[in-house]
Amino acid sequence: MGWLRRLTRAWRRWWRMRAERVQRPGLCPRLPVFTVRVLATAVGVIGLGWGPASGREPAQTVDFDREIRPLLADNCFQCHGPDERARKSKLRLDRRKGVLGQVTPGRPATSTLLERIASSDPAHRMPPPGTGRSLTSAQVSRVRAWISQGARWTRHWSLRPILRAMVPAAVPGGGGRSRNAIDHFVQDRLRRNGLVASRPSDRPRLARRVTLALTGLPPQPDQLAAVVADGDADWYERLVDRLLASPRFGEHLARHWLDLARYADTDGYQDDEPRVMWRWRNWVIDVINGNMPFDRFTVEQLAGDLLPGARPEQVLATGFNRNNRTNGEGGSIAEEFRVEYIIDRLDTLSTTWMGLTLACARCHDHKYDPLSQRDFYRLFAFFNNIPEKGIYRRNTPPLVKVPTSVVAGELASLSRQIDALPKSTKARQVLETRRADLLKAVPSTMVLQEGPRRDTFVLVRGRYDRHGEKVIAGVPESLPGMARNLPRNRLGLARWLVSDRHPLTARVAVNRVWQQLFGRGLVTTPEDFGSQGGRPSHPALLDWLASEFRDGGWDVKRLLRLIVTSHTFRQSSRIRPVDLKLDPDNQWLARAPRLRLSAETIRDQALAASGLIVEQLGGPSVKPYQPPGLWKEIAGGASGAYKNGYQSDRGPGLYRRSLYTFWRRTIPPPMMATFDAPSREACSVRRGRTNTPLQALALMNDTLFVEAARRLADRVAAGAEVADRIDSAFAHVLGRRPTAMEQRVLMASYLRSLARFSKRPGLGKELLAAGGARLHDPEGVAARASLVTTCHVILNLDEAVTRE
Amino acid sequence: MSESVGSLWQEKISRRLFLGRSSLGIGTGVGTAALATLLGEEAGGQPARAPRARRVIYLCQSGAPSQLDLFDHKPGLVARFGQPLPESIRRGQRLTTMTSGQKQFPVAPSVFRFRRHGHSGAMISELLPFTARMADELCLVRSMHTEAINHDPAITLLQTGSQQAGRPSFGAWLSYGLGSENRNLPSFVALTSWSLKGGQPLYDRLWGSGFLPTRHQGVRFRAVGDPVLFLSNPPGIASGLRRELLDDVARLNRLKLDSFGDPEIETRMAQYELAFRMQTSVPELVDFSDEPRHVLDLYGPDVARRGSYASNCLLARRLSERGVRFIQLFHRGWDQHSNLPRDIRELCRATDQPSAGLLRDLKQRGLLDDTLVIWAGEFGRTVYSQGELTSTNYGRDHHPRCFSMWMAGGGVRAGTTYGATDDFSYNVAENGVHVHDLNATLLHCLGIDHRRLTFKYQGRHHRLTDVHGRIVEPLLA
Repeated sequence: MGWLRRLTRAWRRWWRMRAERVQRPGLCPRLPVFTVRVLATAVGVIGLGWGPASGREPAQTVDFDREIRPLLADNCFQCHGPDERARKSKLRLDRRKGVLGQVTPGRPATSTLLERIASSDPAHRMPPPGTGRSLTSAQVSRVRAWISQGARWTRHWSLRPILRAMVPAAVPGGGGRSRNAIDHFVQDRLRRNGLVASRPSDRPRLARRVTLALTGLPPQPDQLAAVVADGDADWYERLVDRLLASPRFGEHLARHWLDLARYADTDGYQDDEPRVMWRWRNWVIDVINGNMPFDRFTVEQLAGDLLPGARPEQVLATGFNRNNRTNGEGGSIAEEFRVEYIIDRLDTLSTTWMGLTLACARCHDHKYDPLSQRDFYRLFAFFNNIPEKGIYRRNTPPLVKVPTSVVAGELASLSRQIDALPKSTKARQVLETRRADLLKAVPSTMVLQEGPRRDTFVLVRGRYDRHGEKVIAGVPESLPGMARNLPRNRLGLARWLVSDRHPLTARVAVNRVWQQLFGRGLVTTPEDFGSQGGRPSHPALLDWLASEFRDGGWDVKRLLRLIVTSHTFRQSSRIRPVDLKLDPDNQWLARAPRLRLSAETIRDQALAASGLIVEQLGGPSVKPYQPPGLWKEIAGGASGAYKNGYQSDRGPGLYRRSLYTFWRRTIPPPMMATFDAPSREACSVRRGRTNTPLQALALMNDTLFVEAARRLADRVAAGAEVADRIDSAFAHVLGRRPTAMEQRVLMASYLRSLARFSKRPGLGKELLAAGGARLHDPEGVAARASLVTTCHVILNLDEAVTRE
Repeated sequence: MSESVGSLWQEKISRRLFLGRSSLGIGTGVGTAALATLLGEEAGGQPARAPRARRVIYLCQSGAPSQLDLFDHKPGLVARFGQPLPESIRRGQRLTTMTSGQKQFPVAPSVFRFRRHGHSGAMISELLPFTARMADELCLVRSMHTEAINHDPAITLLQTGSQQAGRPSFGAWLSYGLGSENRNLPSFVALTSWSLKGGQPLYDRLWGSGFLPTRHQGVRFRAVGDPVLFLSNPPGIASGLRRELLDDVARLNRLKLDSFGDPEIETRMAQYELAFRMQTSVPELVDFSDEPRHVLDLYGPDVARRGSYASNCLLARRLSERGVRFIQLFHRGWDQHSNLPRDIRELCRATDQPSAGLLRDLKQRGLLDDTLVIWAGEFGRTVYSQGELTSTNYGRDHHPRCFSMWMAGGGVRAGTTYGATDDFSYNVAENGVHVHDLNATLLHCLGIDHRRLTFKYQGRHHRLTDVHGRIVEPLLA
């Protein structure tokens, strides 16, 4: 049936193309009869549609969507855009009709648009001086050129249907630097920008890169040795498959999802009291490890409770939308905050799945994108029936209790044993008590539920108590409508998001995956695919990946595998002088990026390299080291929930992966905040990668990194020679042997420390006392302390905090 | 190395990071380049104006001090003691649910005496004798108003220009817009203290950077342990060894830089140097032993207690001397729903002398001319008593419709009282100043057009003043 699907899709595509091109009747393709012909047509259309961005037309051709719309959006939409109330002279320049009404194609001289923006009379010129905006002469001449060339209008790129772009031919003489379609797209652009792809990265570096990228942990030296010794041509693909199958993969990807889901262990307002949502986090890790398709992942989190015959896990999944902040402050007005929670959910929904800045339409029509205030409240209506209070602290209904699979197994086995025993025997009573205790220990999780329908109104100026026009649930008018068979509830909304016709969901999702792997998205504003956001650097590649993802069953692991096995991912990250000159930001990817690791990965790497790590999957949040007094100084709840301040765990809780760290929103874990983690107060799709002295101080002095250095020294102390120990420590962190030069520096460092600690053995003892492990080194305190400082130097290297 | 690269907060680096590697900076061209358009340039018909203030000390009184007992004198209320608040004044405006269920709203006149002070004749309560002596330095605003009625959204609005979490705080905007004047310290420092049992909590977001790059977030100096997190070397690592180890790290990073050519490595090397310098400069900064007795005395006896409001005020002066751009103090404890007369005395005892001492100290050193000092809480308090009213005791609920604040120093008109409320200090009667207006005016004093200090995020050019704010000319010198 594949051909039928393809044909249907091709037909739909053709129809939309036609609709967009009616203004140029001469170019309208004929009705397709054979798939072949349709494909040929589509190829032609792509070439035209992307204009100069894809280089298939002469460079001087002006592409409306790429050059003119952003200019109009920036300078004109404030008064001539989607916002009905702010609109002047009934003119809309965000619509085709409005724009084309102001120009005479081919004749700039008689085009009102040009006349107004180019006028030398300040009183006549647009935009008016009071707006603080103005067009440069270069911009004016682009508008003139666009009109001269026929003033062709196109829809905003992200709202057009996703086309499966043709894969460009391999770049001739690519020297085997092309492994899959991604490389064809990337190298096609490189060639046109006068750049060439880098040679492949060396094996140890690549192995560390991909292991960090997919699991957030460094490879262990024995794994690395095996990889380096692997003689098969597909060593890398097999490594990738192993990593994708590792439970660590789910933890790492879940961490990214937690930023979007604004996951935290506290409610986020005022006293910021604790809540228990880790059971939902477990669900995320489990389904990512099980490679749940992204469409199901979407539907279950937004509307799992509404699925026919919903299983407990599917209801649990809706905890996604109870991760928002909730207010328990005395004196607050319940309805005000119930409304805020829904608005937060809409913000999260539009950012996460659609890359739209919908929140702007809370108070008025969107200033730049075709989203009206009415659209906003029609979406609001989908979330308006959750039977939830406005003011609350801690876990508050709707709730579910879903045992983890381990506990569920135990419960089932207990039940079997109980059933096998005669009633009111002692043995049976013991088992029943145990079962009851187990059940009681299952935490409750906040979830969604559909309650009685509430009327929904447009809220005037976004105010909870100012009801305007009454609206019913529906999707924004500028996007494809909901299919007729979809229910008009959250479930229908979720299914609409992942329907084939939705132009945004797949693009936004693959862009985020790309960002995760390359440090920046093909669209550099993953939170904004609207007219004010960035444009794709590789539009055809973005659409090809999106269609590949959508049509391939929304298979996340497959998508990741596809990208990380490309040459583009595998190439060296060394910066050639010419690259730095031609493409300092590396947007064309002639080299792999060097990326500072995330806060979580920096900490997890130190735990893993030193062997401190406790690799328990899932479970309640833990409290690792935190400088004393942080909570007491500024936070509330000191008389209640946080009576004892922050109490670090002892034992395993100190050494779990960072995604399990107890997250208090008003005072996030300091090391995480220092390395750019968001506060989790709101949905966040992009983290900064700053480079600050506070980060240096954390790596130099945070107890965790000192302890990691000490344990790493323990781990390598068995080496016969000092040089072996240093090499081994280096490999544990960086996944490679040091060069001869590096060896010399490290050895000199070791010897200088040795001289100091030999003179002052008391200091060595102090350093080794941190953590309290026994000292086995027969060479004594000074030697071991020096090895610790050498390990600490390694953990502080730029390369150690970088995915290279 | 350190000489050539300088501080993190030096704009050369920030700008490169900003436009280059920082994933937040893409497509937004505001680094140093934007300064020309932010500073003193004509925009939208406003006259150009040179910056009058170079730095800010913001004395945020968290919990909301009662304007009725400090600055907004309403002698007519004595005659109305215990009478219900007239409906003509209340006008059905919303109340918090802490008092909306009260059967009565009895008028509670202040039990404190007011008197005129200085040449300006500013009316100030007996609770603030030290501040009163500085009356001629103050620009007192009695017609402030805000939108939120609860602490969390209200203080978030005051400090970030939005009730919702996620926007950059004032200091972060300033760090982003103006950069730092200091090579060895952050450009934005937050200091916290409290009275009584602590009162309303604070949140990292109040000095956070929101969607701005995180290097603009305020660094909180702490009163316990290291003043800056992770400042001290671990046990066993003496300063000399630390220096050697950092040299080794630098040597290895240099090798990496030579082979990989990534300028980010160079930046990291510079950051380690700055971190090392901070290990010396910060302890010096928090060590008051070089302050003469007569200066310490200005701030009152609490100055000796590290972490007190008094000690933070002195620290603020030391930071401002060193070129730190924005120093944000928070003092908690003003949320007096009950026993207000008793509790407000304690709050004033803890804060009055240090606030005034700071002004005097800055003035003596000539720093007040280009330092903007702001004293404000997140909203005001109700004229009616929350809970039982007696002749000596009452409580006051949250009141966003009017409150008082003062400014002093660079750019503001000294010895002024601006705005007025009605006879009940319930509604603004004239010259209302919204939080956005205040922020627009403060930025103006710093030479910044509030409409031009923008950062593009989620498709919008965000501002501290959102789409609002108007410069209140009468407040300007």
